[in-house]
Amino acid sequence: MTQPQEIPLSSLQPGEAGEVLRVTAQGPIRQRLLEMGFIRGAKLRVEKLAPMGDPMELVIKGYHLSLRREESSCILVQPASA
Amino acid sequence: MNAKPVSIALAGNPNCGKTTLFNALTGARHHVGNWPGVTVEKRSGVFTAGDVRFEVVDLPGCYSLSARSEDERIAAHHLGQGEVDLILNVLDASNLERNLFLTTQLLELGKPIVFVLNMMDDAEKRGIAIDIPTLETLLGGPVVPTVGNREEGIAALKDTLASVVTGADTKLRHIPVDYGHDLLGELQKLEAEIGRDEVLAKTMPLRWLALQLLEGGAEAAELAEASHAKVAIQAQVEKSRTFLEAHLGNDTAGLIAEHRYGFAHGLVAEAVKHPEREPDSSTGKLDGLLTHRWLGIPIFIVVLALIYTLSFVVGQYPQDWIGMGFSALSSFLAAHLPPGELTSLLTDGVIPGVSAVMVFLPVIMILMGCISFLEDTGYMARAAFIMDRAMHLMGLHGKSFIPLLMGSGCNVPAIQATRTIESRQDRLITILVTPLVSCSARLQVYIVIAGTFFKPLYAGLAILAMHVLGFGLAMIMGRLLRSTLFSGPNSPFVMELPPYRMPVMRTTAIHMWDKAKVFLTRAGTTIFAGATLVWFLSRYPGIADQDLALKYRGQREAVMALNIPQDQKAVQLRDLELVHEGNIVNTSLAARIGKKVEPFLSPIFDPQGHRQEAWKDVIALTAGFVAKEIVVSTMAVIYQSSEEPRAGEKLSPLQVTLRDKSGLTPLTALAFMIFTLIYTPCLGTVSMIRREAGSWGWAGFTVAYGLVLGWSLSWATVAIGRMMGFA
Repeated sequence: MTQPQEIPLSSLQPGEAGEVLRVTAQGPIRQRLLEMGFIRGAKLRVEKLAPMGDPMELVIKGYHLSLRREESSCILVQPASA
Repeated sequence: MNAKPVSIALAGNPNCGKTTLFNALTGARHHVGNWPGVTVEKRSGVFTAGDVRFEVVDLPGCYSLSARSEDERIAAHHLGQGEVDLILNVLDASNLERNLFLTTQLLELGKPIVFVLNMMDDAEKRGIAIDIPTLETLLGGPVVPTVGNREEGIAALKDTLASVVTGADTKLRHIPVDYGHDLLGELQKLEAEIGRDEVLAKTMPLRWLALQLLEGGAEAAELAEASHAKVAIQAQVEKSRTFLEAHLGNDTAGLIAEHRYGFAHGLVAEAVKHPEREPDSSTGKLDGLLTHRWLGIPIFIVVLALIYTLSFVVGQYPQDWIGMGFSALSSFLAAHLPPGELTSLLTDGVIPGVSAVMVFLPVIMILMGCISFLEDTGYMARAAFIMDRAMHLMGLHGKSFIPLLMGSGCNVPAIQATRTIESRQDRLITILVTPLVSCSARLQVYIVIAGTFFKPLYAGLAILAMHVLGFGLAMIMGRLLRSTLFSGPNSPFVMELPPYRMPVMRTTAIHMWDKAKVFLTRAGTTIFAGATLVWFLSRYPGIADQDLALKYRGQREAVMALNIPQDQKAVQLRDLELVHEGNIVNTSLAARIGKKVEPFLSPIFDPQGHRQEAWKDVIALTAGFVAKEIVVSTMAVIYQSSEEPRAGEKLSPLQVTLRDKSGLTPLTALAFMIFTLIYTPCLGTVSMIRREAGSWGWAGFTVAYGLVLGWSLSWATVAIGRMMGFA
């Protein structure tokens, strides 16, 4: 068994999926992300990037959400092995 | 019948169809206002079911009650009040798990809750099957399936509400959310500490307060701060946090969120069956096109062009009709009433004032209709998604783009349109910079001035430059405000992209009418008062001068007696009238103020001190405060020449006079245009800023920075221009 690979959500590519490990942001942003479903073990999939490369669109808990790079880089995920 | 209506609070996530449900429940009997102290819309209405009268308040849509945003604070505060008898929790049936997160918080309030599973048709289309009896058991309250936009299930919902109130419904039970052994232990310890303060313990349920304190909710923290048991409570919060973090390897906010989602997930697992493979949704296909890497932006531009055309080109027709109607009324009255102060008040003060308000109505209604329609379809969130990167660089939000662009038609509805921006900070910045965007009223001033002082090609370039300058300044000011007055942490851009839906036309129509009403009552009264004041300043004391009036009457009679063709007579009479009005205006209070203020403006409009009549600019610009296009008609009066060109001539008499007599040079004319662009938003915009920003302070700030910025830029233009050898 290898160590879980820990990468920021912002480095997942469109089409790739992953599982939330933890949210490193603090304060109100952290609370908001938790409320929107970024809790340990939550599965997500990156749908696409906006035409100018930021923000990203992803699916979590069965709904679509967009995040700026500023926020998505504070979420650590384990990429799902394809 | 009950004497006092049963008070219901309608709570739910954004995009769950709450407002449509509210409209279906209350029909037209609703009232729109603001929540006290803030500029978040408050909608309330009444309806009856069986023998019970209900009063329902539509809370702002929110994902949680942690009271971090203005919307959440309002919702949490209202729900905590003793006046709420019953909570109606609207859930999007096709997105149940996320919607149930808010429910876990509502359950802790200890109030009876009726659940609405809205958008059942969407859920069915996606092949999601929901076991309603199981859900009722697990949630401890009646669950009513509805399709709000087709008004399905509304009758059943009303029956359920009535039976809950009369006690006929037996499904109500209190369901606690399971927080696990460790967390529960800490919650109970904290509850014991809070319980020492009886006053505090009565404001909210203990469990709610304890959870909010552990999570760091603002509302609960304020309550604890005011308590006499503050020290003990805060010490226990710290102790619990330290214990939980050490034992469970996550901070308390994370733990609480995990358990809440655990509850929601468990519920969905028990009561909801998802299909093995979801059928390809139309949303997915549509989204692939509308937010496409290459096509997304061009499609967005087309959508914008459509809205713009509909609002400002098509809307121009009813606007013109209203304007013509009022000026016909005004000339009718002028012709039939005896000349005098009262007639002038009516024809030059009141009627143009009312007209200046009414002409906005078609544009506001169409634009607000379009924006409400786009929001309800779900495209507005995509537009923000597409534009966010560019707007973020300028210190703004993706949703700021549409209001800014619409500002180039008219600033007033553009500022109303900023309501779509959730974060107060982002909204305020957008409101404060929108007036810099050059609107169509200012265009009329540029056309006259540029047409007078520049060759056609340069005139076109100068007018274009004004628009570019307006946008550029809006972006620079956006960045500047972000890094100075609003330098706090960026509000997170965590935006749901809801499924595409067909909006309900009724909702759009109600929205249009509500916005029109707001404009008429709030902005309308201010514009009207301002127009009357400007009339007073620019007519007195000359209008009360009997000698002047007598002389004018004599001149008119002399022309009438002349033996010349009718149309020549009309021209001469019109010229006489302009001269007469000019005599009044040029000796008015406004003119006196103009002469006093002139020294402040001479560095920009009269750098060499050649101009005898620079004070006339002040009158025109003061009048332009009511509405910028009035600058032109006022100039016609003060320079005593008609703004309508004679047949076969390129320049109107006003333009000829300006060129020959005003003393403006191409350089100072350019400075005049720049000043007109920036110096202050018009009255309608100012009063809308007051309403949407929530204070006269911000409205005053916009006027003040406009004056300073406008003066500085005009001065810089003149100074640099003169250095380069222009006059």
